[in-house]
Amino acid sequence: MQYALVAGGSKGIGYAIASALARRKFNVVLVARNKDELETARKNLERNYQIHVEILSADLSQPASAGIIGKWCHEKNLPLKILCNVSGIGGEKDYLSMPLDDTLYMLRLNTEPAIALVFNLLPLLRKNKPSYILNVSSMAGFAPISIKNIYSATKSAIIFFSYALRYQVKKDGISVSCLCPGPVFTKPAIQTDTVKKLGWFGKQMAVTAEQAGEMAVRKTLQGKLLIIPGMLASIVSFFLRILPARLIAFITYRSNSEN
Amino acid sequence: MTHLTMKIALLYVLITVIVTTGYAQPDSLNSKNTVTNNVGKSLPYALVAGGSKGIGYAIAEALAKRGYNLILIARHADSLIAAKNKLESLYQVHVDILSYDLSLDGSATAIADWCMARNISLKMLCNVAGFGGSRDYLSLSLDSLRYMINLNIGSAMSLTLTLLPLLEKNAPSYILNVGSMAGFAPIPVKNMYSATKSAVVFFSYSLRYQLQEKNISVSVLCPGPVFTKPEIKKDTKEKLGWIGMQMAISPEKVGEIAVRETLNKKLVIVPGTVSKIMAFFVRALPRRFIVAIYNRAGKKKS
Repeated sequence: MQYALVAGGSKGIGYAIASALARRKFNVVLVARNKDELETARKNLERNYQIHVEILSADLSQPASAGIIGKWCHEKNLPLKILCNVSGIGGEKDYLSMPLDDTLYMLRLNTEPAIALVFNLLPLLRKNKPSYILNVSSMAGFAPISIKNIYSATKSAIIFFSYALRYQVKKDGISVSCLCPGPVFTKPAIQTDTVKKLGWFGKQMAVTAEQAGEMAVRKTLQGKLLIIPGMLASIVSFFLRILPARLIAFITYRSNSEN
Repeated sequence: MTHLTMKIALLYVLITVIVTTGYAQPDSLNSKNTVTNNVGKSLPYALVAGGSKGIGYAIAEALAKRGYNLILIARHADSLIAAKNKLESLYQVHVDILSYDLSLDGSATAIADWCMARNISLKMLCNVAGFGGSRDYLSLSLDSLRYMINLNIGSAMSLTLTLLPLLEKNAPSYILNVGSMAGFAPIPVKNMYSATKSAVVFFSYSLRYQLQEKNISVSVLCPGPVFTKPEIKKDTKEKLGWIGMQMAISPEKVGEIAVRETLNKKLVIVPGTVSKIMAFFVRALPRRFIVAIYNRAGKKKS
């Protein structure tokens, strides 16, 4: 009767992670904004795997949400083994091409829910040790991608947070992992954008949401810190991390202005 | 394992050396002596967010020394007035003060409106406001952590966006963001501070290229320990020991170097030789290795 909570678990990578967990007989708590999508996800998971799914509809960009979710879990004394922070926003529009409100929304949605949920659910995770935290970042968090300025900056913050947290909660028997995928075609728009900006290479680097989710869960349970799905994405990540940040920022800016 | 780590580290150093010496600076922004004082024209202004104390005040002073009029933003009116009086008595400049909590959403827009209404000839924006300390993730309340995110990153993103039209009009102009050496690699005991500063460093790198065509130069100041408060000195001595004390430099020096190098259009500014060397290794060595060292240092009595 072990539970995993997936914040942002109704669609995309979050749903794929939930499926991979369900396959391993974890009961799942799904948190997302859209109730209909949550219901659909629940039905699919309960039909395909013999597990129990709870759904919580909450807007994670609201500061109060993490508190409500935490309270709900504590009241049920949920045997929480895994916390997955997947919710986030990105897209073609970023700094200088979107209004200030959207910029601040991205900053907050990509950082605060993870920080607040870990904060609130840590007592439960401690109680159910050995337990796991999986934060979803991106390859864009390895080096500054000029055209995805705020997205890249927030994802870097999540990587930093994961590294630091890993040391902070090690003694509690909690392992922290960070998923840093390259392109994942969860929406048609992402596929178009990737092919346009990164061309053939981007397409080769891409993995399916299912692959990313399966690998994320497997490596999280193995206690791995950084998880990069796909061979080509791993190689590219290596270079993103090893080359001077200035060069990456320059190249990514250029690649955009050519289009 | 350690063998492999060493190999990777060596490879990195090699590649870095080849790359940094081999390829021409892609931005060709390195022309020296671009200090523009525009004597005779309308006097240039610099806005310093978080300019009443510490590094922010030191930056303001270094700017005043160069004849910049100032707009100082901070939360407390008292310290703003004190800063204004001091700067105006020492230098022949005009200082405006605006009291705002920069962690709040409306602040940047209100500040920009104020500047636009006066058609301020804004030459430089310095985003210095920030929050950090010996207490961080797991020993601070969630509200304080949110405050940290909003102040350390949100305010820089907001002020830059809202003041961009003025900076564009007064180009060539400058943006100076204050990051930290903590933004180069994750520090477990300063988890959120380090994460937010990393975001500031990333933001600055990206922004530099985004604004290059507009002739706005972006710099990021990444100092090691700066003893702006007594407790920082104590904390540094306990956790980093001798090397920490060698790395530390005074706020005045940091401010002076920051302004000089910003006007020289340098991207990453690390004041002090020991800090520069440390920063190189912190960035060059495998991150996991650095975090382990930071973690051990952080556990020392606090």
